[in-house]
Amino acid sequence: MEDLYTELAEILEVDEVKREDELEDFENWDSLTILEVASMADEKYGGTIESKEVKGLITVGDLEDLIKSKM
Amino acid sequence: MNLQYQGKRISGVLAVVPRNEVKFDDEVQNYNFSVKQSMKLKKIMGYDKHRIVTEGTRVSDLAIFGLKYLLDEGLIKRDELDALVLMTQTPDYLMPPTSNVIQGKLDLKPNMVCLDVKQGCAGYLVGLMQAFSLLEQDAINKVVLVNGDVLSRKTSPQDRNTFPLIGDGAAVTIVEKDPEKDSQIFANIRMDGSHRNALIIPAGGLKMPSTPDTAVMVMDEEGNSRSLDHWFMDGMAVFNFVVNEVPPMIKSLMDFAGTGLEAVEYFMFHQPNKFMLQRLADKMGVSYDKMPYNIVEHFGNSSGATIPTNMAFNLGDKLLDNSYLTCLAGFGVGLTASSMLMGIGPLDFCQMIEY
Repeated sequence: MEDLYTELAEILEVDEVKREDELEDFENWDSLTILEVASMADEKYGGTIESKEVKGLITVGDLEDLIKSKM
Repeated sequence: MNLQYQGKRISGVLAVVPRNEVKFDDEVQNYNFSVKQSMKLKKIMGYDKHRIVTEGTRVSDLAIFGLKYLLDEGLIKRDELDALVLMTQTPDYLMPPTSNVIQGKLDLKPNMVCLDVKQGCAGYLVGLMQAFSLLEQDAINKVVLVNGDVLSRKTSPQDRNTFPLIGDGAAVTIVEKDPEKDSQIFANIRMDGSHRNALIIPAGGLKMPSTPDTAVMVMDEEGNSRSLDHWFMDGMAVFNFVVNEVPPMIKSLMDFAGTGLEAVEYFMFHQPNKFMLQRLADKMGVSYDKMPYNIVEHFGNSSGATIPTNMAFNLGDKLLDNSYLTCLAGFGVGLTASSMLMGIGPLDFCQMIEY
């Protein structure tokens, strides 16, 4: 899933993201970013992410697991 | 649901946009987000300028202005208008219908049908379907379809989810019997009332009448402030609905019409924002030059009026001399998704005016 981390870093506008990074710590972690993540997941991994599923997520790893669960 | 019509055509399109233009950059301070976040939003969604009515302007003002222009210019005549269909979510009154207000103020003939239909972003498609159905009657030869909304009046200026994308506007489309009686129009439509809360103005109807309490501004967990009198959008739910429903709907339309995407010359889709339209084009494998997505950037999203505004702004005079096989699509409040395949042009007029 290295590609996924690259995609997430690009969307969050940072150099790199790590599994343990907390989503709330990113300045750009807002509804727009969540929409971009959902669009990327749909495009690259073929899964639909709902906003309520994203609400409980804490770390980048949680997000990765959610996207993987939709593949 | 598949629908089919024959012997009908669009003969003219006039878009009416308010003169008052507001820049996204000048509104950034209204939002409870960092400048960096808002500039990212601007870039991704394609926000730049939008047209907002000045205080007190109603949808009937825009409609009457447009129709009066057409009457004064001799592009339509009073006595040939057999029906007036107004598609709006922001009527002047709960009663009477705003279409009757327009008819009365313009002195249109009594021997006609006036109809208000409440629809939003799929309102151009639903309005055309309504016009085509009316034209089945021998007594009805020409229908005026008006799409218009003044949604800025129901949008919180402190809601970054909705205010930047909104644009007020109206469009007049003349729909009539086609001398080419065999011309075919294919359409389909889907409704999903289980997601009716994804786009909603909670207060102001009879379930929750507007009171001082419903006007109280409340900040959500993300930092957007709005009241119950304001328009609310669950952006993710709408996005998922559109990217999951629209591409297969268009595929199904092509199958129904017995043709393919490559035969379509223009995809004139509702204009929610650049992001969603590019995503749709990519998913459908359609090149961007066939699917204009710049209406939000220049004027804002005026709900059911975006498709005719798109035709007037991006095709304009080209539609006076040419005919294009065009795929229309509208999607939004309801939730509703609809598409249509038809030849459009040559038109008697296709232009834009400022109110």
